Amino acid sequence: MGFPHKPHPKETVVLSQYFGDVEARTHKGWVKRGGYEALAQALKMDPAAVTEVVKESGLRGRGGAGFPTGLKWSFMPKEKKKPHYLCVNADESEPGTFKDREIMRWTPHALLEGTAIAAHAIRAEIAYIYIRGEFTEPWTIMERALAEANAAGVFGSIKVYLHRGAGAYICGEETALMNSIEGKRGNPRIKPPFPAAAGLFGMPTTINNVETLAAVPPILKRGAAWYKGLCLSNPKSTGTKLFSVCGHVQRPGNYEVTMGFPLKGLLYDMCGGPPAGRTLKACIPGGSSVPILTREETESCLLDYEGVVEKGSMLGSGGVIVFDDSADMVYQIMRLARFYAHESCAQCTQCREGTAWTTKIMERILSGQGKTKDLDLLLDLSENMTGKTICVLSDSCAAPIVSGIKKFRGEFEAYLAGKRQPVMVG
Amino acid sequence: MTASHTGSYEPVFVGAVMEELQSVFQRYPNKQAALLPTLWIAQREHGWISDRIMAEVAEVLGLTPAYVKGVVTFYTMYHQHPVGKNFVQVCTTSPCNICGAEGVVKAFLEHTGAGDAGATSPDGKWTIVEVECLGACGFATPVLINDDFLENVTPEKVPDIVKKYR
Amino acid sequence: MADGMINLTIDGAPVSVPPGTLVIEAAKQAGVLVPHYCYHPGLPVAGVCRMCLVEIEKAPKLQIACATTVTEGMVVKTQTAPSKSARQSVLELLLINHPLDCPICDQAGECELQDFVFQEGRDGTRYGEYAKRFNPVEDFGPDVLYVPNRCILCTRCVRFMEDVAKEPVLNVSERGDRAFIGIHPEARLDHPWAGNVVDLCPVGSLLSKDFLHKARAWELDKTASICTGCSQGCNITLDTRDEVVVRVRPRPNLEVNRYFICDHGRMHYKWMNRGDRIEAPLIRRDGELKATDWDEALDRVAGILRGASGTAVALVSPGASSEALALAKRLLSGFSWTGAFQVVMGEEAPLPGVPNLALRAERAPNAKGAENLGYSRDYARALEAAKTAAVVLVLDDPDCAVEASGALIYLGSVLGADAPCRRADVILPIANVAEEEGTFTNCDGRDQRYYQAKPAPGMAQPAAWVLGELTAALGLAELTR
Repeated sequence: MGFPHKPHPKETVVLSQYFGDVEARTHKGWVKRGGYEALAQALKMDPAAVTEVVKESGLRGRGGAGFPTGLKWSFMPKEKKKPHYLCVNADESEPGTFKDREIMRWTPHALLEGTAIAAHAIRAEIAYIYIRGEFTEPWTIMERALAEANAAGVFGSIKVYLHRGAGAYICGEETALMNSIEGKRGNPRIKPPFPAAAGLFGMPTTINNVETLAAVPPILKRGAAWYKGLCLSNPKSTGTKLFSVCGHVQRPGNYEVTMGFPLKGLLYDMCGGPPAGRTLKACIPGGSSVPILTREETESCLLDYEGVVEKGSMLGSGGVIVFDDSADMVYQIMRLARFYAHESCAQCTQCREGTAWTTKIMERILSGQGKTKDLDLLLDLSENMTGKTICVLSDSCAAPIVSGIKKFRGEFEAYLAGKRQPVMVG
Repeated sequence: MTASHTGSYEPVFVGAVMEELQSVFQRYPNKQAALLPTLWIAQREHGWISDRIMAEVAEVLGLTPAYVKGVVTFYTMYHQHPVGKNFVQVCTTSPCNICGAEGVVKAFLEHTGAGDAGATSPDGKWTIVEVECLGACGFATPVLINDDFLENVTPEKVPDIVKKYR
Repeated sequence: MADGMINLTIDGAPVSVPPGTLVIEAAKQAGVLVPHYCYHPGLPVAGVCRMCLVEIEKAPKLQIACATTVTEGMVVKTQTAPSKSARQSVLELLLINHPLDCPICDQAGECELQDFVFQEGRDGTRYGEYAKRFNPVEDFGPDVLYVPNRCILCTRCVRFMEDVAKEPVLNVSERGDRAFIGIHPEARLDHPWAGNVVDLCPVGSLLSKDFLHKARAWELDKTASICTGCSQGCNITLDTRDEVVVRVRPRPNLEVNRYFICDHGRMHYKWMNRGDRIEAPLIRRDGELKATDWDEALDRVAGILRGASGTAVALVSPGASSEALALAKRLLSGFSWTGAFQVVMGEEAPLPGVPNLALRAERAPNAKGAENLGYSRDYARALEAAKTAAVVLVLDDPDCAVEASGALIYLGSVLGADAPCRRADVILPIANVAEEEGTFTNCDGRDQRYYQAKPAPGMAQPAAWVLGELTAALGLAELTR
């Protein structure tokens, strides 16, 4: 539901049903709305059976990678020899994405319930919910909800703790998040070992995104077949997905649609399209880390994992950034490059130096001092920042550069040729 | 390695604060994992994380001051210098930028007298910083004043906000 | 091919290695050095410099050789275009903020950044017109300076302090291209093994103050030696320039010191360059010590020994070679013999991350060797016996508080103005450890050879040569033990 806007008839409201409903935030209110029934049901099931239901539902990770959730859970050791951990990734920091924030603000118990079910499925005794430091309001709400849930004894033997981040985008990367909980710099780890073998504190760990876990209680309650049936296009993409729409649209916000819904419908019907008198120029469909789409690509794109890939981008976290014809793509790409340069953890050479250099080249082009060969240099740098590092932060910096130069080359060339008023950036 | 406590330093982790920390320890299998929450408590109590506080945190958690400093400098929300009474973080990443975030920064700088981004106003009341994505892109421009998260801030709303916090 | 071994191909060469071997180590067996910075066999793998990216057949993208374990049938290619271009890019990126101040950098000539850029770097930079980042030099500790502008953030130093020295006084501070190696202002890099960070640093970012601007790497001659700082027997290299020892560095020996030496050992070399040496044999003539040649001096000693009988005492240094110690004993085999040594003791300083490696309390390299040869630790008793002995031989112990009523022979390299050995009948100049070849036995009983790094001054000769000549003169050379 496009809170704060009224639900659109074409939305499929599952996760966002109670957005804006203050009473749903409380334990009592949540129970009244059928909350914690799925948990009670799950706790009566064998963990493997719970995993099986989620597998069957086709639910895929909503944090960006789209990895099948049930399959991920099944990687945990069958024979339990060590403590198991669950990490909940509430470090939502991908520019353009603000869905997990709304889940925590309005339906904290949905997340807690999903967390407890997942912990049961992977046989974890402790779950840490890692909330980014800037999310002060969601933190307070989650803290209150957790206290209520604990008081009501809903978790049984499972312990759920909140862990506050402190300002680092990269902590949304799963192994960086684990390092951060361990009291370390949020550096991504080299893999293998994978978290299911050696994750948090070196123990078998599963990490899931907030939206993924919030989807688990309805799946258990209404059945895998129901969830699987929520599919408008590719059967590999099932269920509903929250899309955060921001930038140049009339009604920005979160909208929940069935997988396979047309992006055009989301942007024009639900969000009201670009501001009056403007036309859509470009769209980043899955958070700032994915390639930019042109207007044509945007208007023919279907919103599921495969549909966005078909257009040359990725569904990512579902953060949709819209640019209208007033947007200076060169400037906006510089802002994104600067974001990644700011957030690079400093481990890998290509990322540490490459993101900063990329930003400098972009700034120079904007200042009117760019050279024609700068575009080739940017592309070459991007090539060497893609698929070469521990995590994908440098790939994410390269994605808008490469797609931007490819699709909006004219705007770059205008700066290079002195046909655009230079922009001084510092 | 030496880490001495000299001068008039007053430790943060005593009494009730130490008790609070003890309850934080219960959540983790080791003390190192309590580092981020410990730093949050230290910042709440002292306003910023000085080198001296890092040394105290290190002592309390059985770490070295250098280790703690490495972690503090990784996370942008720990202040390594004193900041104004109102610490204002304005998101200026791309989605907010296209919705006019730079104007919001300018308005805050003007109306608070903070002068430059990152600097503190002469009366010690305001520090305005530009930050990368605050995770509320649909509510551009989000502004975090201390722990208060404001949405849909426009340059026009800034004077009233400043009045409220002054 | 041996059972249980993994067979793979690296640049066309088949190799067979134990399971669990890293590709970068397997490559060494194939004679292939995969360029790298952050990887070091003595440290936990970090995988951050991304320099060792290689192509592995069937892998979707390049893999880092330092963190990839070998698998059966793996085909590794280090010289393909994607691999070379990835490395070239890393090199270019590492250089964008590098000051290129090789002419005044101590690391020049032994710098891995220089080496790999020379080997496969770009012709020029494309970073050209952008400003380089600048941070001032920092004083990290008693012997370590940090030059951040040359730093490539490989984190070897941080990992050494954290995982090997177990005292994390270094960190990576800040993020992105603002990052640097940091230290807390109230802390110092003064761990007894801290100096290893200078050796581990692949570039000229961590420098030894002791070696600062002392020599260019290519002017140095390198000699395998054994540290004399304690009884651990760390394998070292003596670096000499114009016949002066200017630096001590560890020489890898996985059984003894792995890749490391302690700071005490590292600094324990200046005495090897002492100028106040005994340079000629001295014999007492008309009550005075007079310089002479070796023939006369050796004749005089042989004469003394032939003319004496009864008891003899040898007061020896635990820093003397086993060869010299054995010959000294043999030389006195016609006497009722007492031999003893004394060891200076200090505080033990272990390197926590390496089992059985420490700066040992016994600050001498060959006490075990002396003991094995029958020398006693009861030095006081030997000193007492020396008072009435017919012959007293002092070997390389310049401060020996000897009182002798019989003949006193001193073999040494130096002698203080008031040293009791000034009263000797004969003084024979000997080489120090840097000037001879010999053997020490370390605290674990391991015999280790050291080699000559520079010539001995004047007429000084290795003690083993002097004592060998004397045993021959006395017809004791064929004596069997």
